[in-house]
Amino acid sequence: MTEPILQARNIVKRYGRFTAVNGVSIDVLPHTVHSVIGPNGAGKTTLFHALTGTVPLTSGQILVDGVDISALPGFKRVRTGLARSFQVTSLFPNLTVLENLRLAAQGVDAVQAFHPWRRPESFKAACETAASLAERLNLTLVRSRLAGELSHGQQRRLEVGMALAARPKVIFLDEPTSGMGVDDIGDMKQLIFSLRSDYTVVLIEHNMDIVMDISDTITVMQLGQVLVEGAPDAVRCDDRVRSAYLGSMITGGRK
Amino acid sequence: MNASFLCQYRHLAMAVATVVVLPLVLTSGSLATEVLIFALAALGCNLLLGYTGLMSFGQGIFLGLGSYAAGLALLHLRIPLIAVLPLAMIVGALAAALVGWFSIRQRGTYFVMLTLAFAQMFYFLAYTLRDITGGDNGLLDIPRPPLEILGQRLLPTAGPWEYYTLVAVVFVVVFWVLQRIVDSILGRTLLAVRDNEARAAAAGYDVRMLKLIAFMISGAITGLAGALHAMLTGIAPLSNIEYGTSESILIMTVIGGTGKLFASVLGAGFYVLVGDWLSTLWPRWLMLLGMLLIAVSLFMQKGLWGVGTGLLQRVRRQGRADDTATQRSAAYD
Amino acid sequence: MNIYLLQIINGIGIGMLYFLMAVGLSIVFGLLGFVNFAHGAFFLLGAYACYQFALAGLDYWLALVLAPVIVGGFAWITEKAFLHRIYKLPHEFHILLTVGVALVLQEAVILQWGIVGQNVAVPEALEGVLILGQFVYPKYRIFVIAFTAVIALLLWCLLDKTRLGAIVRAGSESTEMVSLLGIHVTRIFSFVFALGGATAGLAGVLAAPLRGVEPFMGVEALGIAFVVVVIGGMGSFAGALASGLLVGVVQSLMSTLWPEGARLMIFVAMAAVMLLRPNGLFGRT
Repeated sequence: MTEPILQARNIVKRYGRFTAVNGVSIDVLPHTVHSVIGPNGAGKTTLFHALTGTVPLTSGQILVDGVDISALPGFKRVRTGLARSFQVTSLFPNLTVLENLRLAAQGVDAVQAFHPWRRPESFKAACETAASLAERLNLTLVRSRLAGELSHGQQRRLEVGMALAARPKVIFLDEPTSGMGVDDIGDMKQLIFSLRSDYTVVLIEHNMDIVMDISDTITVMQLGQVLVEGAPDAVRCDDRVRSAYLGSMITGGRK
Repeated sequence: MNASFLCQYRHLAMAVATVVVLPLVLTSGSLATEVLIFALAALGCNLLLGYTGLMSFGQGIFLGLGSYAAGLALLHLRIPLIAVLPLAMIVGALAAALVGWFSIRQRGTYFVMLTLAFAQMFYFLAYTLRDITGGDNGLLDIPRPPLEILGQRLLPTAGPWEYYTLVAVVFVVVFWVLQRIVDSILGRTLLAVRDNEARAAAAGYDVRMLKLIAFMISGAITGLAGALHAMLTGIAPLSNIEYGTSESILIMTVIGGTGKLFASVLGAGFYVLVGDWLSTLWPRWLMLLGMLLIAVSLFMQKGLWGVGTGLLQRVRRQGRADDTATQRSAAYD
Repeated sequence: MNIYLLQIINGIGIGMLYFLMAVGLSIVFGLLGFVNFAHGAFFLLGAYACYQFALAGLDYWLALVLAPVIVGGFAWITEKAFLHRIYKLPHEFHILLTVGVALVLQEAVILQWGIVGQNVAVPEALEGVLILGQFVYPKYRIFVIAFTAVIALLLWCLLDKTRLGAIVRAGSESTEMVSLLGIHVTRIFSFVFALGGATAGLAGVLAAPLRGVEPFMGVEALGIAFVVVVIGGMGSFAGALASGLLVGVVQSLMSTLWPEGARLMIFVAMAAVMLLRPNGLFGRT
């Protein structure tokens, strides 16, 4: 039985009197795609924020490879092996695609960022990571364009790239296909599936085609809590999930 | 040689050119020196505003403290010039660390207000600690020793143009160092922080520490400018640490344009020279400055530098259009 | 009369003026999201309008009514002609534009009325002191307290009880939501900015007979308004009132105990609030 690479115990996140996440526990197994789904307002993005450190935890525990990272601020969690993309595109709009990726690749190395003398181009590793990622994401042609000038689909791909650049253990993708056209979605689906071999993916998605086809485990959330967790088939047939989604949305997938 | 390498030399060349041109067009050595001193202050401000995205209304703190530090050191401690300059930089950096550590905890407008509060606080401190700072009068009769190392006289500083030479050398060196910093990993990371702080943090950067370092560098440069100013005028006045000075430094930086270091030199030059010229014509020249600020906010957000590069682009485009036009008309002959 | 009682009443008087100076700044920040650096200049305009009315031999009461309208009008024009065009830009430019406006207004005042401070006479009806047994106090100062209390009440009613006030408060929470509801948010911006200017101008008219007028009183007023708004909480009416009174009373008492430190203490208090309770004593979290 493989040890989970990420363990979250009883995650609670409160904003004033409003509890967005109310005691969520999750185990993510290595080299799997673990999807988190649920109706709007279920707390999925807030859970991501809490796990990656974008917002501080109200209470709970997070373990990465057995190491407790709950007290670490967000930027330090990147070094422990977590990286994320954002639901609302969050890039460096006035910097080039290559520069965006280089910065994301460099971010893992805490000390290098402060070097006040050496030029970025002299640090080969980060530059090479950026170039090869641009290739993998089909962005080589636009690598010198400003991120703010890309098309929406290109931006979403770059958004995923920013997470990959950190060479993390666990990648958190928050609705990577949101707003994408049909062709782009297919490519993104292939990309996410191909990540399994090198990384572990935790995915928030509304597109049930993707979720049902490529997930190993699905966690269904509702109103800040876990409703059901299991393999895609089990989740698809679950009555509680049907009623949470008003029975209309879990019909995707090829199986 | 990639683009940024050539770019760096181009801007450094412009800085050197400025230093060479000023004595040719100005008759007053002290005015020319003043341009360079405030160019340094504007560079410090630009590092925060244009490269880190922090609008500081507290730069006067570091200018004033630099002046006081230099004044006290020269009057009471009699340390050589070669040591006064680093001393002022250290004082500036430490003060910036203090102000920065508290201010950086806030974002956006709150940050601006905190720097303002600190500026007022330091002003009242300076006013109250009359025994140290001379209060309203400031420190007077600050000597201007020649540049010496171990008894060897390197550069005289008595005459206005002699002092200008010293300040010019300091200016070019600081510009070069700052350009290196801005082109380095630190500089590029600061740009990322300015562009999207949340993304920078999500990528693993310690945003607070980065901002603090930028603040300290800015404080050091501005403190240095303060020390040079004290030696230029012979006094360390209370007004250097006043809110008005902070506002002026910010105005210079914005008028010059944020985003390119040399723009700050333009802004400072404009402010000092036009101010000097206009104030003899019309004492209320600040009104025109206010109007210029309004114009910059409305139409020329990239400042004088932006206007300059915009014109250059248009000229180039016109040149290309003329070329194609002549080619076309030649084809019809 | 007991000196401490005297200072406390002085403090309340100053505090009410501070509240009036700060409330406009606070509301503008709450809705428009940036600090209006021209706020002090609007205060300055109001004070000099009062002075000009006195010079022209017109009644103080006329100044009290018209000056805020004039200053409010200025503010409205500033918003419509300038600020309006740059809302899309980052807040830095809003701040810079208002800094420019403040400079222009200040220099215009100096141009028109000279750089030396002037005195403004207290209106005849309010000259002299009120004597109630042991209690002796200048009539004009009592008037200031009473008048600003009435204005405070009117403002509160406007914000709390009227539809317009509800829109302003909602707009402070989220301008997107308000415009989605079909309400012209931008028209509200102009009104709020004008209201902010008018209250600053009114404070200026009230302050003029107390301390005279001089061209740099705008900068001083801005500094005080900043402190009061930060301590009380940006965007909070109650905060402006409470912290205005607090700052006024503390400053008054300090002026007898440790005059030089009074100013310093206020800025220290401001910085302390920013660090410990960043949203101010009454601010929204």
